[in-house]
Amino acid sequence: MNSTTAFVHKEYEAEKASNSYLMSLIAIMVGLPFPIINLLATFIFYMAHSKKSYFIRWHCTQALLSQLILFFVNSIGFWWTINIIYLNAEVSSAYLIYLACLVLLNLIEFIATIYAAIETRKGKHVKWIGLGRIVDAIVTK
Amino acid sequence: MEAQKVDMFIMSNNKFFESHHIPQIRELLLKADDSKWALVQTLQFQDPTTILIVSLLAGGFGVDRFMIGDTGLGVGKLLTCGGFGVWAIVDWFIIMGATKDKNINKLQQVLY
Repeated sequence: MNSTTAFVHKEYEAEKASNSYLMSLIAIMVGLPFPIINLLATFIFYMAHSKKSYFIRWHCTQALLSQLILFFVNSIGFWWTINIIYLNAEVSSAYLIYLACLVLLNLIEFIATIYAAIETRKGKHVKWIGLGRIVDAIVTK
Repeated sequence: MEAQKVDMFIMSNNKFFESHHIPQIRELLLKADDSKWALVQTLQFQDPTTILIVSLLAGGFGVDRFMIGDTGLGVGKLLTCGGFGVWAIVDWFIIMGATKDKNINKLQQVLY
């Protein structure tokens, strides 16, 4: 993760940008079994701030994209598990490996979100590895 | 308007607005005619903290949105039980800013 203070932003912007990560954390806790809850929550938050300043929009987009990636990964895991429970599908080693990777990815994302929420609140521009460049390309000044 | 009146207004009402809006409000009030002072004084602003508490307690029924005057969104929230809980959570983080935006709109309507 990179932390930069590339451009000047104001106190209220830092608070709102940090809220985008904080909100996704609370949504994770509330909608834990259903992957779409977090994505919906971050999307509504993003839409509510779509006309705000560049700094706020940038961090809302990063939070949204991180949830989008998690949504696809978690959805596969969710339906695979449903398949095993209700259709008596085989618990293969591929499933167990996938589940371990899924938990690891969720854990990394959770920690990264907490870190981003704290640093953004201080006014630092936190770019996630890989994701930051995509967000740069999407969000226009 | 006189600078003393404007400063008094800002001192007593600054919690109802975003901090970055204060200089803009000051400018607006200084430019405004003295006849507007009585109108400005009678304005009732919503307290963002109160709305946040309402949102935490009754956000699922859309009471917070009704209180700030977003009747359409309030009805939507009420009918969907706070957007099945998701919208209610998102509103915990948005509602204070939305209340402050409504307050400044109310002030601008009187001044223009």
